[in-house]
Amino acid sequence: MVSKLSLSNRLLIAVSLVLTAFLGLSAVSLNNAFESSAEHEQKKRLKNYVYTLLTAAELNHSGELVMSADLAEPKFSIPNSGLYAQITSGGDIVWQSPSAIGHFLALPFNPGPSNEEFHIVEMETGMTLLNLAFGIVWETDNGEEIAYTINVAEDMQGLQEQTAGFQRSLWYWLGGTGLMLLIAQWIILRWSLRPLHDVAIDLHAIETGEHRRLNDEYPKELQQLTYRINALLDHEESRRQRYKNSLADLAHSLKTPLSVFRGELENSESMQQLRKTSYEQLDRISTLVDYQLQRASTEGKSSLLAPVSLGEIIYKIIGSLDKVYQTKQIQTQCEIERDAYIHADEGDMYELLGNLLENAYKYCKQQVHIIVTTLNGTVRIRVEDDGSGIPARAEGFVIKRGHRIDTQAEGQGLGLAIVSDIIVAYEGNINLERSRLGGASFVIELPRQ
Amino acid sequence: MRVLLIEDEIHLREQITRQLSDQNLTVDAVADGEEGLFMGSEYAYDVAIIDLGLPKLSGIEVIQQLRQKGLDYPILILTARGRWQDKVEGLESGADDYLVKPFHFEELLARLNALARRASGWANSIICCGPICLNPATQQVTKNETAIDLTAYEYRLLHYLMLHAGEVISKTELTDHIYELDQDRDSNVIEVFVKRLRSKLDPEKALNPIETLRGRGYRLTLPRG
Repeated sequence: MVSKLSLSNRLLIAVSLVLTAFLGLSAVSLNNAFESSAEHEQKKRLKNYVYTLLTAAELNHSGELVMSADLAEPKFSIPNSGLYAQITSGGDIVWQSPSAIGHFLALPFNPGPSNEEFHIVEMETGMTLLNLAFGIVWETDNGEEIAYTINVAEDMQGLQEQTAGFQRSLWYWLGGTGLMLLIAQWIILRWSLRPLHDVAIDLHAIETGEHRRLNDEYPKELQQLTYRINALLDHEESRRQRYKNSLADLAHSLKTPLSVFRGELENSESMQQLRKTSYEQLDRISTLVDYQLQRASTEGKSSLLAPVSLGEIIYKIIGSLDKVYQTKQIQTQCEIERDAYIHADEGDMYELLGNLLENAYKYCKQQVHIIVTTLNGTVRIRVEDDGSGIPARAEGFVIKRGHRIDTQAEGQGLGLAIVSDIIVAYEGNINLERSRLGGASFVIELPRQ
Repeated sequence: MRVLLIEDEIHLREQITRQLSDQNLTVDAVADGEEGLFMGSEYAYDVAIIDLGLPKLSGIEVIQQLRQKGLDYPILILTARGRWQDKVEGLESGADDYLVKPFHFEELLARLNALARRASGWANSIICCGPICLNPATQQVTKNETAIDLTAYEYRLLHYLMLHAGEVISKTELTDHIYELDQDRDSNVIEVFVKRLRSKLDPEKALNPIETLRGRGYRLTLPRG
């Protein structure tokens, strides 16, 4: 058999996979969101710089662009500050911020008047810049229009560092959360699967003989299972007990005919007497074996048994008995409720009804009535006949627990003893009454479950 | 009366065969289901005794197949399993009666006689035709309550003719039903037996109990009852 993954391992693997996928996707989307928001911020900043530069720019009388020496952003004035600006017109550099001196070369970007373009620029020094090229048109006093392009570029290192920092802390947090969730999941699993583990331990205790049945205190979901297992165990136990009792009873009850036999062998004077006694005792032994075999094979009450239809069994038995008692021309009348089902072993019901009906067929004159009714979880079976001699038939017929056939009156049929035993095994009861047909009326009540 | 016995247990088979032969019944005994089915389908029997637990083919299957072939002679089941479920299964498969082992031979014989009688429409255990009565249990034959002494074959012949009183029985059928399979058969002997039976049953030649139908066989003419 292929060894299967344990339930907790299955759950753990599944949950881990789901968690990993969930946390991974969260990380990617958070990271993307952060990156785009940071880039957006930088672009906004670059635009603001462009406007700052525009406020500082002026055209003199000769139509040349003049920048105020005092720029609002000090980073434009510090060399290598990472923020650079230059203004070009028609490919010529008109102005460069002090920070860009020696760094910032003319860029070929020319977006046209009132347009803007963003570019990422790799410098020879290895620096990466985000550049905004912004086109404007200026009108001189004499009405001449001059087109300028303002380039503002900022080092992207800050952005990259910020993103890297964010990613680091993001991974720490998500990893930590994932780990915590996994641990929590493991604890929850252990806690919820604990009853299953307990059932296994409980079953093992039954195997080793420490316990007889399973504990009753299990969660609702498991109770059906443990209840059924307990029912099975009880059923097995009672069956084992019945086997044991039958075997002991058989061994014990065989001793009587055997000692009669031995006594007769030792003391018998005539061959004829010996023969007669031998026959009698052989019959007795055979009856005892039949009876105890029957008792041992009785299944008895159990909630695990499927429902059997009493009507079906009764009709089959009647069919058989009609064949065997054909010459007697018996008129059988059946009134069987349609849903006369009972949770019992089919073989037991065959035995019970077979013996009961055969008894009626044997003793009746001509009529047998069978009535099966159900009421509040009980099935009532009434078998009546028009025979005579109730006292004789009732004589040995006593329903008593642990009643053994060898203690019963001689000559009594085995059938009714078997009937009584099966009824006891199903916790039912039997009564013998006088039938309105004139003969005996056996009334049996059995619990349906 | 010819009986088929299918029983695998050798002691029981031999014992029953011996006891039934002592009762002037013709017995063919076989030990397994397949052979039993072959015999049961090939030869005409008045009754069959079939054990349920048989090698090769179970008793139930033998019975089912015999019935499927349209053979309707009565069948008695012998079984060690006395459970009702088994009995019902056996009877449903086509058997007519059952007997649980161990049994008294008298019980077996009574059941066999009852089955054979029933099959030929007799209700009572003693068969009577006119003044002649035959008791299969004691093998006694009487005429007007006076015992008639018959040999084993004469008895067998009369038993068969009386069971089928009113019917025309061919010589071959008579031979089949009174001789075992492995015996030498001579249908001319039947004529001798019939002649002797006539003289024993009707010395005064007033009754004419057995009629000869040329080329067809014999018929017991006395009224049933």
